[in-house]
Amino acid sequence: MAKTSQRLLDPHFVSKLARLDLRARLVVDGFLTGLHKSPYHGFSVEFAEHRQYMPGDPLRHLDWKVLAKSDRKYLKQYEEETNLRATLLIDTSASMSYSSHGLSKLDYARQLAASLAYLMLRQKDAVGMYAFASGRGELIPPRSTPSHLRQLLVLLDRLEAAGGTDFASSLHALAERVKQRGLIVILSDLLDDPERIASAIHHFRHRKHEVLVFHVLDPQETSFQFEREATYIDLESGDRVTTRPQELRADYRTRVKGWMDKIREFCIEKQADYVAVSTGTPYDRALLEYLSKRARLL
Amino acid sequence: MFSFLNPGFLWALPLAGIPLLIHFLSKRRLPEIRFPTVTFLRQLEPREIRRLRLREILLLILRTLAILLIVCAFARPSIQPKDAAARAAAAVAVVLDDSESMGAMDEQGRPRIEGARERGLAIVDAARAGDEVAITTTTGPDAPLSNRSGDRVRLTRTVRQIGTTWLPGNMEQALERARRFLGRSSLRAHELYLISDFQATNFTRGAREKLALLSRAGTRVVVLPVVSSRVPNHAIEDLDPELRPGPQGKGLEMRARLVNHADAPSERLSVRARLGDALIGGGDVTLQPDESRWASLPIDWRAGAGAGAEIKGKAPVVVESDVDALPGDDRRFAVLGAPRRLRVLRVMESRAGEPASRFTALALDPGQDGSGGYLVETGTPASVLSLSRSRYDVILLEDIAALSSDAEGKLRAFLREGGGIVIALGPHADPDYYGHKLFPGVVDLALEGTEHAAEGQAFEIRARTPAHPILEGLSLTVGSPLTQSRLVALAKGRTTSPRAEVVVMTTGGLPVVVAAHQVSVFLGSLSDDWGDLPYSGAFVPLVRGLVDHAARTTSPESRDLSLVGRPPAAHLDAAPPGLVVVRGPDSYRSQATVASDGSGFLAVADTPAPTPGFYVFEAGEREAAVVAVNPDPIESDLKPVSMESLQAGSPDPPRAIVTVRSLRTHLRDMRQGRELWLLFLIGAALALAGELALASARAVGP
Repeated sequence: MAKTSQRLLDPHFVSKLARLDLRARLVVDGFLTGLHKSPYHGFSVEFAEHRQYMPGDPLRHLDWKVLAKSDRKYLKQYEEETNLRATLLIDTSASMSYSSHGLSKLDYARQLAASLAYLMLRQKDAVGMYAFASGRGELIPPRSTPSHLRQLLVLLDRLEAAGGTDFASSLHALAERVKQRGLIVILSDLLDDPERIASAIHHFRHRKHEVLVFHVLDPQETSFQFEREATYIDLESGDRVTTRPQELRADYRTRVKGWMDKIREFCIEKQADYVAVSTGTPYDRALLEYLSKRARLL
Repeated sequence: MFSFLNPGFLWALPLAGIPLLIHFLSKRRLPEIRFPTVTFLRQLEPREIRRLRLREILLLILRTLAILLIVCAFARPSIQPKDAAARAAAAVAVVLDDSESMGAMDEQGRPRIEGARERGLAIVDAARAGDEVAITTTTGPDAPLSNRSGDRVRLTRTVRQIGTTWLPGNMEQALERARRFLGRSSLRAHELYLISDFQATNFTRGAREKLALLSRAGTRVVVLPVVSSRVPNHAIEDLDPELRPGPQGKGLEMRARLVNHADAPSERLSVRARLGDALIGGGDVTLQPDESRWASLPIDWRAGAGAGAEIKGKAPVVVESDVDALPGDDRRFAVLGAPRRLRVLRVMESRAGEPASRFTALALDPGQDGSGGYLVETGTPASVLSLSRSRYDVILLEDIAALSSDAEGKLRAFLREGGGIVIALGPHADPDYYGHKLFPGVVDLALEGTEHAAEGQAFEIRARTPAHPILEGLSLTVGSPLTQSRLVALAKGRTTSPRAEVVVMTTGGLPVVVAAHQVSVFLGSLSDDWGDLPYSGAFVPLVRGLVDHAARTTSPESRDLSLVGRPPAAHLDAAPPGLVVVRGPDSYRSQATVASDGSGFLAVADTPAPTPGFYVFEAGEREAAVVAVNPDPIESDLKPVSMESLQAGSPDPPRAIVTVRSLRTHLRDMRQGRELWLLFLIGAALALAGELALASARAVGP
């Protein structure tokens, strides 16, 4: 079982599956199966549906009648009133299309967003989505109905990486539009000025939003393991730099690490959670971060 | 001046452009990689770009330089010497040592002369069209073997034909020939190549002076030692032509003088004497380092006769030892005479109240029957008047005060006839008489009274010439005490010419035993008047040595007459009936000139003996005499002279080149200029090493 759950959390395995909703469900199921304690904490008075008992579920929700009749363990689920409104912000700038090993950053972000949305909706949290790139953005306001997932997945499915990142402007615009306080989950490579990123986060914090930043990077972006001399073309600006990777590698790594540390520091300073994820990183880390954040909020 | 000896290779110089070409081609074909952002790269670039470009340029330079240097190395770059004369045609004198010692073998059994020829050929090979080359040898004729010849074929043939001779080298004469040749040449550049084993015995003071003279005259002197270290060698230096009775008069002994020219002892050196094919005697001899001594070899004279040899008076005997580095001196020829007894007239003065001393008589003839090899007759000073060569071989004057004029005249006549004189002084001998009257014309020794040792003390006496025949029976080294006896008084003497040799002296420098031609002088007393010498172990050998020395020098088979390179000479008792012809080894044949020499006739061949061996003098189809001819033992000591001593004191010291390869390099440098291809290759290797280091330093990054 553990092996299967690990497999379901592997980005490369999941990326091979056809449908996004299936992928999201598999990820979340795989993730939840691996947890000892159920993450569900909502309460309600109105019965909604049954679901099969999973080890770790509180026994107080067990439907004893069904157990007595059919000798099967089912939990009663209720229409919860959520107290969490989450908005997933997905960076669709051209730099997100980069992939050094088959899975682009956007693919990873897309999959992670779908999984998060599925998880959130299963917890009866309201989920919205905002896909943004330079000068454009598409917002789906948060809702908690199960059918809302489809709308979110449709958006995710047609996302394409293009254009530059005016990260700060996009986020500032969104901050103005999202009035009700909630959780802002940012999935981006944050290729913008850290000061401006900090300013945008600050804007959300000012609006009393909680912010969770998933810094999605390709392994090559941090390790720079190229061997041959080559001309490097910026995916967003089209700038070209010809250099020998082996000459610059050490300095490059230092500089990238400094940049990431700086963003992390800003996030800490603005009381936002910062999680650096590589496109090779299993999804469970991101999901755990989310659940941890949610636990703190509720 | 810089030039290339193989300029054809310079066409490959454009190859040096290959690294540049590769560099630009690789720049043109760079792959393009799309990357999320180049911001960080761009930030790094300004700082790194200069370093990278510098490294790139350095790598390019090193690669290009390496190819350039390799191509140039193949083109054989050379630089001419600063001295313009060195490039001009030169007069080249080659002195090649062909003396007997050049036949010495090295560890591989290769004679030195081969190495010398190899060097000579290298010099000839390097000769240019305008050069004048002369080759001379150290034993060769007075004129150079090949004079002013630029004909390389002829010169090569000349060098190939040079072989070792049996002659001793005369380096001084050879250098003088070279000097004359160079002096006659009109060419400005003079070079002298001296190929030799540089035997110390060959390099006389005169030879060194000649070398310095050549160097001072501007000749570029190059010495080419064939060997650089001392090679051990033992030799049979001399043979006593007379057999002597053995110990206690039993059997016969032959005496051979052996020498060990080595730093280590020569253990159990086997020495054999042959008469024809028959082994007639021999023995094992152990020699200490640098020891030279007479060894007595037991001889079975009848063994030779049994082998069919006819032994009546004299017989040709070959003495051989184990063969070593120089085989030539491990064999010696001698014509041994039948054993004879020395007839000694012992002259003493009878003094009232003093018993006559019998020490010397007992030392020479203990059995009074002549079995010890000496027939001793005792007489008074008056007996000297009847002295004649036909009756006596040696006269021994023992503590005689003075001789009458007539007796003195007889003594001098006896000396002229070849007789030997032994003079022992003593308390009664008048130093004034001996010093001023008897010694002049007999021995160059001055006497100035008597010297007494301090009260209760005795003179310390030491051997000065341990290898001298007088000390033959004593095992001595230089400075070793002669005897444990106490000598308390001595006649105070002083030699006045090198002809009188001090054999034994006191530690204070007083002569004790002096040797001259046909004369032995003992400045102490042979009785117990001036000490207890007669009671010491040295007495008998010393007395016999004194007598033997005086007698031996009378022998007609003197070594001076029987060396290779000199005309063989024989003493004939009677006038030959007709023409005397001399026959020897290697088809030697020569006529001989006969002249009276007082006691007989001396026949001297017209042609020098070229090789050792027996030379037969025939007169009227009859064998008149046989003489043994041997090589000069001076060639046996292979100890080389130090190169430093040759180079000292000269403004432009000779250059010493040891190996043939170094010589070829030197000649090439001199004739064609100094080749730099090796330097270029080293430079290329360094450039490649630098390139590798720079490239690997770049690659080692994290």
